[in-house]
Amino acid sequence: MTGFIECIDIGKIYQGRTGAVEALRGINVACAEGEFVCLLGLSGCGKSTLLQMIAGLEPPSSGQIIVAGRELDGPSQATSIVFQDHGLFPWMSVQQNVEFNMKARGVKSAERRARAVEMLELTGLAGFAGRYPHELSGGMRQRVGIARALTTRPRALLMDEPFGALDAQTRGHLQAELLEIWASQRTTVLFVTHSIDEAVFLADRILVFTPRPGQLSANVPVDLPRPRDPRSAAFAEIAASLRAALGPEGGSE
Amino acid sequence: MKLGRLVGLLPILALLLAWQLAVLAKIYPPVLLPPPLKVANAFVLFGDQIASNALASITRVAIGIGLAFLVAVPMGLMIGRFAWLDRLTDWSIQTFRSIPPISLIPMAMLFFGIGDEPAIVLIFIAGLWPLLLNTIFGVRGIERTMLKVATAAGASEVLILRDIIWPAALPNIFTGLRLAVGGGWLTVVTAEMIAVKSGLGYMILNAQMTFRPELIFAGIIVIGAVGLLGDYAVRRLKAWACSWQEGLTASEQ
Repeated sequence: MTGFIECIDIGKIYQGRTGAVEALRGINVACAEGEFVCLLGLSGCGKSTLLQMIAGLEPPSSGQIIVAGRELDGPSQATSIVFQDHGLFPWMSVQQNVEFNMKARGVKSAERRARAVEMLELTGLAGFAGRYPHELSGGMRQRVGIARALTTRPRALLMDEPFGALDAQTRGHLQAELLEIWASQRTTVLFVTHSIDEAVFLADRILVFTPRPGQLSANVPVDLPRPRDPRSAAFAEIAASLRAALGPEGGSE
Repeated sequence: MKLGRLVGLLPILALLLAWQLAVLAKIYPPVLLPPPLKVANAFVLFGDQIASNALASITRVAIGIGLAFLVAVPMGLMIGRFAWLDRLTDWSIQTFRSIPPISLIPMAMLFFGIGDEPAIVLIFIAGLWPLLLNTIFGVRGIERTMLKVATAAGASEVLILRDIIWPAALPNIFTGLRLAVGGGWLTVVTAEMIAVKSGLGYMILNAQMTFRPELIFAGIIVIGAVGLLGDYAVRRLKAWACSWQEGLTASEQ
């Protein structure tokens, strides 16, 4: 099986103070272009580590990662990453923040400005371009993070628990908006979460991780039509099977 | 300035009152302890002399600290960014910064004679360490997510230093500048007593030798006032350059 993003037999070993720690073992993932895939697991299962390796931020100890047909040796131009703690630059206005990724790739300033305005509109931030991050709510900050990630027209959006720090209501709004953005931009999404409900609500397919060492324990397709109703029986059934796959400690929500 | 701030003048007024009372009680002869009015009069009589000496001292500090800034800040940004540079320089920095700049006066005179040069070199050294250490500290304190965002976006090392590390470290650099200006001012007065034939330090030592206690007092008052103004100027500069910090940190006024 080949895919747009492929992880082949990935292992990760950290040299900790108390000796070597195996964070990931034998991970095989293939993700087709346009697919929305959730990596679901409890904290410490290595799902974020895997995502950061796919983003090219750290190398695997063993195995191969292929993005858009090329083996990774650093960040790929085809991906953009969004973090839970958003990583916005507090000294830059929203506009400057959103332009940063393009600046890093040498996009000319007129084009940067136009593209940033477009992405701010898409993420519902029109009118906030001149604000500073500390003047925004948590949900708005994460919108800025998503807008920034989208500016470079990534073929895959890598999201590391992007809504994990938000209140339930804001989180629900952003999940729905993300699905709209995903549908309109036709990008692949790899989405890390520890929330079963979030995964079932969003994903085409859910990969379940179990910890110590991080391994894939299940590959669960979600065939429900969107928008999905978390109170439906079919939703609950998939959630229950995921809860079982996560193991005795269960998942949150 | 709010009227409430003027309460800060009360201790100074109390000190003036105590001074006047001590003069009236003849605790010390007037040749040691001149009355406040006579000191005030000294500002009129020796106004030009005080102004030109103050200007000489201020110029030396401005040059010395300016040079220290140009050397210490780029160095600090690099040392903070690259761990191997830190390992290379840490012990040396910790050793040299423990040496009071004043203790280098004899050596500075041997190398540079009497005049501006030894004073500026000593001020440079006095300002170098606080600027260097605070810059390094500022770079270290940067949020890791911001660096990950930049790396994932493919930002060049130059862009990371200019657009992320430099502004992130700026508040700490200003803390260093405040300490440097304070230390430079202490150093210039001392150095001028020994190694220079102008400046406020020279002026008050000379006033002692020519039995003009009112000029000594006037000189000390000017030293204190200039120190206060210098600190205020740096703080205003910081408030202007780091205005994005408003609302992020507890006020440190």
